[in-house]
Amino acid sequence: MTAALRSLPTVFSIGLQRQLAYRWNYLLRALFSAVPLLVSWVFWEAVFQGKETVGRYTLAGLLTYYAVLLIVEAVSSPADDDFQISREIREGMLNPILLRPLPYGLYRATLFLSGRCAYLVAAFIPVLLCFFILSRVIHLESASFDILRGLPALFGSALLQFSLTLCLSLTSFWFLDISSLIFLVYSLEFLAGGHVFPLDLLPAPLFTIARLLPFAYEYWFPAAALCGTLSHREWQIGIGMQFAWAIFFLFLAHLLWKAGLRKYTAAGG
Amino acid sequence: MLYFIHLLKLWLIQVRYAITRELAFRANFFAWVIVELAWFVLQLAFVGVVYQHVDSVAGWNRYEMIVLVATNQLIQQIFTAFLMPGLVKLPDLVRTGGLDFLLLKPAPPQFLVSTSSLEIGPVANAGIALIVVLSALHSLAITPTLSATFIYLLLVLAGLFVHYALLLALVSFTFWIVQAESVLLGYYSIFQVARLPREATRGWFRVIFTFAIPLLLVANVPASVLIRNAKITPILLFLGTSLSAALLASLFFYLGLRRYQSASS
Repeated sequence: MTAALRSLPTVFSIGLQRQLAYRWNYLLRALFSAVPLLVSWVFWEAVFQGKETVGRYTLAGLLTYYAVLLIVEAVSSPADDDFQISREIREGMLNPILLRPLPYGLYRATLFLSGRCAYLVAAFIPVLLCFFILSRVIHLESASFDILRGLPALFGSALLQFSLTLCLSLTSFWFLDISSLIFLVYSLEFLAGGHVFPLDLLPAPLFTIARLLPFAYEYWFPAAALCGTLSHREWQIGIGMQFAWAIFFLFLAHLLWKAGLRKYTAAGG
Repeated sequence: MLYFIHLLKLWLIQVRYAITRELAFRANFFAWVIVELAWFVLQLAFVGVVYQHVDSVAGWNRYEMIVLVATNQLIQQIFTAFLMPGLVKLPDLVRTGGLDFLLLKPAPPQFLVSTSSLEIGPVANAGIALIVVLSALHSLAITPTLSATFIYLLLVLAGLFVHYALLLALVSFTFWIVQAESVLLGYYSIFQVARLPREATRGWFRVIFTFAIPLLLVANVPASVLIRNAKITPILLFLGTSLSAALLASLFFYLGLRRYQSASS
């Protein structure tokens, strides 16, 4: 185990170098991820015409939510880890990894971390620029930012997204092509995760259901925690649910990995 | 003229091949239909949530907004079926040198890149989008006239030109940037503009997305033809800008192609 831990900085460094080799790709990704914020701004401005609030949100509050989502996405969303893992399994490329004294989950978690660091470097300037431009035009509700509650939620979101991605990718042991499954889960994450609109704009029964699902704790919960719109009780329940889902998916990933390895056929030399 | 018939024959052969291939992987075919449908439901759910809190957005009521969103979906799905699968493969073809094989074939490279792959699944989703358009029109108590239907279909075709121009221009960046997979994310991000009611926009945003990249016209103009009998000026403007965008994107593609160096041995 000590050997495995000693190798992690090297895995991290290799992952970071691999990701930064395609820094233009990352910069473009970060720039394009700001476009939905621009669209939301234009659309919601039209919705708020003649209205002070929609649900519990003012226009500034809503745009602050969308801007904070950019940070949540930069910190916690996997890039193409799902497709990488799927390819490794499908094309029999796990062999060299299996021979290393390093648990696969830990190996992938280190690569995920390096990917997030590379993306953060590339996204830093575009995200900062978005905040600057927005703050020139509207008064962002930055005074209510709650870093103390936001940071654990952000970490929980990264852990949850990583574990969910791992589970999805490991189904490649059984299915030839899982891209449709990945995109189906993306759509659920967008809708039930609060990526398209804050979940508390949903009718109360649907909002209750959404909070029982894992997706709400990927985007909506960390964004709301960072914006400081949650009560202490709501935050406590949220963080409990978030980590419970993350641990559940990590456990499920462990089971899938064990079962999948029995089916795995190594190919190539 | 004969040349275009030759290209049409080539395209029909590719369609036939795509149908055969899709039918060989039926489970995959249905899985993708469900995925695309889920994204459409997501957009409709957003409309539903917004209109729970307001009656009108920029002068568009709930059902008019559904016509707009579904028209955008109709155009996007037709594009996803017939042109997008080929275009998104360009970065990979350039990186691996696989483009060599296309360049050696006796047909224009842009035609081959654009039509080398097809997916039949999105056609089913385009059909669903059309049903949603008709159902929303029914809720608005509107029966489109024959001429309005003809103009609508013509404008859907113009919308396809805009989708094509934008994605062709984006994937052509691959001749300058080694890994250009992010351009697909760019396409999906930028095309969110097409779902906005044009009346909701103003200033530089409106000017850029009407004249430079005419995304605000893609679904707005066809939807307005059905709902409000749109005036002739925006229709002509849309037809003109869509053709210009496609031509400019084509020029950009050939400019990039001149930089192409085979990566294979």
